[in-house]
Amino acid sequence: MPDLVLQARGLAKSFASPAGPLPVLTDVSLEVFAGESVSIRGSSGSGKTTLLQQLGGLDQPDAGEVRILAPGAGLVAPRTSLGRGVGFVFQNYQLMPELTALENVALAARIAGTPELSADAAARALLTQVGLGTRLEHLPAKLSGGECQRVAIARALVNRPSVILADEPTGNLDERTGVEIMDLLLGVVADRGAALVLVTHSREFAERAGRRLVLSGGVLSPA
Amino acid sequence: MPWFLHLALRQLFPPGKRFPAFATVSILGVGLGVASLLVVQTVMNGFGEEHRLRIRESFGDCQVTGAATLEQPEALAKRLAARPEVASAALYAEGPALARQGDFSGIAQVRGIDPADPNQPARKYVHGGTFDDLDDGRIILGVGLARALRVRVGDRLEIWSPAMAERAEKGKAPLPAEFEVSAVILTGFAEVDNAAALIPLRRFRELWNLGPRAHGLTLRLKDPARAVETAGLLRASNPGLRFRPWQDFKKDFLEAIRFEKTMLFFLMFIITLVASFSIGSTLFSAVIRRSREVGVLASLGAARLQVVALFGLQGLLIGALGTFLGFVLTWTILAFRDAILSGINACFGDGDMMANIYQFSKVPLHYDASDFVIAAAFTLLTTAIAGLVPALWAAGRKPSEAMRDA
Repeated sequence: MPDLVLQARGLAKSFASPAGPLPVLTDVSLEVFAGESVSIRGSSGSGKTTLLQQLGGLDQPDAGEVRILAPGAGLVAPRTSLGRGVGFVFQNYQLMPELTALENVALAARIAGTPELSADAAARALLTQVGLGTRLEHLPAKLSGGECQRVAIARALVNRPSVILADEPTGNLDERTGVEIMDLLLGVVADRGAALVLVTHSREFAERAGRRLVLSGGVLSPA
Repeated sequence: MPWFLHLALRQLFPPGKRFPAFATVSILGVGLGVASLLVVQTVMNGFGEEHRLRIRESFGDCQVTGAATLEQPEALAKRLAARPEVASAALYAEGPALARQGDFSGIAQVRGIDPADPNQPARKYVHGGTFDDLDDGRIILGVGLARALRVRVGDRLEIWSPAMAERAEKGKAPLPAEFEVSAVILTGFAEVDNAAALIPLRRFRELWNLGPRAHGLTLRLKDPARAVETAGLLRASNPGLRFRPWQDFKKDFLEAIRFEKTMLFFLMFIITLVASFSIGSTLFSAVIRRSREVGVLASLGAARLQVVALFGLQGLLIGALGTFLGFVLTWTILAFRDAILSGINACFGDGDMMANIYQFSKVPLHYDASDFVIAAAFTLLTTAIAGLVPALWAAGRKPSEAMRDA
């Protein structure tokens, strides 16, 4: 049986509002295994991004706990595995505008403690794998949306995380580029033996995941 | 290079932009602040040093007097000159006299000096005529006194000493001593320039009936800065004599210069403080603008301390580069100070104030390493704080909030 790479139990999260606490997640539990791809669909405001932030350690849940497999450390709290156990792909790419494609990817490796030369080599190899071998020195402003997302995917993978959390990775792309990016994302994630948790509006892209879930009323259920 | 330093440099100096607005304006602001501070300090030091030098040259590094006139001044001078702290000792005698030329007269503070002394300070302040022409029949006058008596170099005047009054009391005809003006001096000290009259010591003794006596000695010390300590040492071994270090002359004046310098430091430091505040506020807007990036860095595993370092370093880098620019500007402004002053005088129709009021041929300056160290330390501290406040704010934010608010 493949390794458990992500485990969430009884996650709950609510936000303050003038009318009182607004529950977004009420009782979410999820287990993801190595090499698995999981899609999460839901309407706008259903809490998909909030769930991804709890899973990735960008926010603390009000209740419940999350564990992520960090290389060499076992299952740990996501905050401690950020950058190593988990990689993020965001809708708006979120690249550093002052850094080149190569530097953006290498930055993630350097933050994780990889020496500069090794980080550059790993970044170069990954960018070549995602088809940007000739765009290494380009700034994000000089890249198309699809190319920026490729850089973001390479950045998410550079530290060999056990799980990739992708938040609407095709949301800012045209249909054709969106398909290319999904192909790439599913391909490279599988290549590296990582798991993928994909949050998307698109039924078509969600269908391509090995397991499909829907977030509604603050709970996850099979699609 | 740590990643946060690399990123800080890139955010300050994005590739492809020769003069990024934020960095350029901030560095210029700090540089101008530092330069204002240091230019003022260095020129104030220059004024202070120049005045100290003039005080020493006018009064000696240490003046030696007794309760009465010195009976055997040559022997005393020889003995004191042999001390390891003393470079040379010279006799002097001085006293007031009536100077008269035709219908004009004034009180002259006549001083007897050794005309052959090559280190005689008055040589430096000759404004007209020749010092070496001084002999028993000639006199050197302060420029103010010469003006009051309406005499120029080559004119003649009479000196009436108190000893002549004694002659009159004894029923003898008092005859004034006649001198030809051989030179005029301009020291910049009104009390010297308006009253000084220099004649050979031998002649002074004759006119004042001093015999071999002298009123005192002026000592040149090997280390004038230690004049107070040296005077104490000499006093201890010569109990009957009074040793007055140069710092005791014009004490209030020197204190006023020091106080002015301190006040100007604080006034000028406000400029640097304002520049630092503007860095702080600009950096704050930059941090808010980069909120999403702060969230992304957190998602990549950046520690809070590293985020603090990223933005804090930007403030520190601006401070360091601004300080360096300030040093360069200071050097440049001071190198062209006289041309700048001439330009200002020409614009405002002022004459040569330096020469007219201070009798300085050029704007004086004195570089003091401690001023540069203090200015750099204060600037780096304030800019580091200016960068640190927004940095702490950024690092304290939840990554999810940072990404949502941007």
